[in-house]
Amino acid sequence: MVPASTDRPQRGSRLLGGGRGVVASTTSTVLVIGLLAFLVLLAPGSAEVRHTFFSLGDMRRALVGDPEHGIFSVSGALVLNIEMFLVAEVLILALALAIAVIRQLHAAALLPIRLLAVIYTDFFRGVPLILVIYAIGFGLPALNLDVISTQEPVVYGVAALVLSYAAYVSEVYRAGIDSVHPSQAAAARSLGLTEWQALRFVVIPQALRRVVPPLLNDFISLQKDTALVAVLGVIEANRAAGIYSSTVFNYSGYTVAALLFLVLTVPLARFTDYLVARDRRKRHGEVAA
Amino acid sequence: MGKKLFVLIAAALQLAATACGSTSPVAQPSASSLDCSISKLNLQTAGQLTVATDSPAYDPWFSNNTPSNGKGYESAVAYAIATQLGFSASQLKWVVEPFDSSYAPGPKKFDFDINEISVTPEREQVVSFSKSYFDVNQAVVSLKSNPIVNAHSPTDLANYKYGDQVGTTGLAYIQSQIKPTKTPRVYNTLDDAVSALKTKQIDAIVIDTPTAQYMASQQVPNGTVVGQFPPAGEHMGLLFAKDNLLVACVNQAIDKLNSAGTFKNLQTQYLSDYISIPVIQP
Repeated sequence: MVPASTDRPQRGSRLLGGGRGVVASTTSTVLVIGLLAFLVLLAPGSAEVRHTFFSLGDMRRALVGDPEHGIFSVSGALVLNIEMFLVAEVLILALALAIAVIRQLHAAALLPIRLLAVIYTDFFRGVPLILVIYAIGFGLPALNLDVISTQEPVVYGVAALVLSYAAYVSEVYRAGIDSVHPSQAAAARSLGLTEWQALRFVVIPQALRRVVPPLLNDFISLQKDTALVAVLGVIEANRAAGIYSSTVFNYSGYTVAALLFLVLTVPLARFTDYLVARDRRKRHGEVAA
Repeated sequence: MGKKLFVLIAAALQLAATACGSTSPVAQPSASSLDCSISKLNLQTAGQLTVATDSPAYDPWFSNNTPSNGKGYESAVAYAIATQLGFSASQLKWVVEPFDSSYAPGPKKFDFDINEISVTPEREQVVSFSKSYFDVNQAVVSLKSNPIVNAHSPTDLANYKYGDQVGTTGLAYIQSQIKPTKTPRVYNTLDDAVSALKTKQIDAIVIDTPTAQYMASQQVPNGTVVGQFPPAGEHMGLLFAKDNLLVACVNQAIDKLNSAGTFKNLQTQYLSDYISIPVIQP
């Protein structure tokens, strides 16, 4: 097998296929995009669809809002999505790491807490996120307790996002921890470190570096799922778009929301690609050395 | 290569332009040529009137979430219109159409949709509506223990936390008339809004008076209708595909039912409670 590191073209030309591939790739791209455009433009209901989803006047009105007529600004509402995402992300990273570490500890006395961690991940990975949001957002207020039942819906929504995503992310962490060769932990133990110290200073630092790309992947997904918190009555971008659509019977507000979400997620997606590529380069470097 | 591509794209654009330009406006029937016999009606399925509503179908507009039982105001109206057009009860077929998709582009699966939909000029650009089968007032529902029950002057009203279903004219009324200082909560369904009211997450819901009356008496323990706002010219209409020729015949049927007093009788039968509710100012 040819070592991949000896002939590694730059990312740009790899995307196009390189050399003669450029002509073929350009032609096929133009053909495919042309066909898709044909399909949309020539369909019998084309004009209607373009008016319903891509009416520029409606898109502008949904983007900036029109409070006098009960229309909320989609871009203004997006701020709430970003806030929910940022707060949830920090909490998820911390909670998930704690769960992953708990599942990694071997002391016999810790069995019950390990068991709880397993049940937690199984449960929250298995239950649809929207049900978790409903259960927390409508269930906790119904308990009629002092602090727990009187929070803003955004708080319940973020709590549900954290509970659900921490279960996924803890598995990502765990995969990272498992990918560190056992000899690393063994070597650390032979130097006199305790099991916990070996995990903390030797295994986890290596594991974290490896799981950054899959973590970012989960966070791209989290950004979009903040829209689900709308079911609790919160007016975030998607709900603002929904209000626009049902008020004037035009879906262009959703198109605006979709574009804004793309503006948020695409840079993160490209950054993830970059990290994956860098990581691959590094590892090939390690192998060569 | 480049030139060939350019020619191809130019041809594509031209073709697209031709296709878009070919949509001709639908001819409007003149009053004199209106033939409303069943065989001449523009129907989804010949010999059958296909009527849509959302599920769940709420009281007092429907009864028991069963549109086909003929009970509840909108169900009764649909059967009255069908009868007026010459259909038998068994020729009326009900289909489920969620509110959000009732105005989606593309062919409709119903002849008309009857789902407490208020007529607005913006909506009329996308779909066609029949004449009014019900004139709407908005009302405030709350818990008996909430301060809004006693303090509801226009300035007081602005200080409460409101909730509503997405797309309701009640929500538009809150924003344009009450102008609350706190952002209202907007839910997927009225049931979710009711749930939020019960758990005191919101102070009040603004919704058409008959629905408000039903909520306060049946859905919310210790619920009450605080008052209804004066009429603002809002009315409900049957929703049709844009420029559907059937609208003219249905409007004719509505006119006949109106002069026979049918709508008034059905309102007394199904919506009588709301008449006694006091009027308050936004």
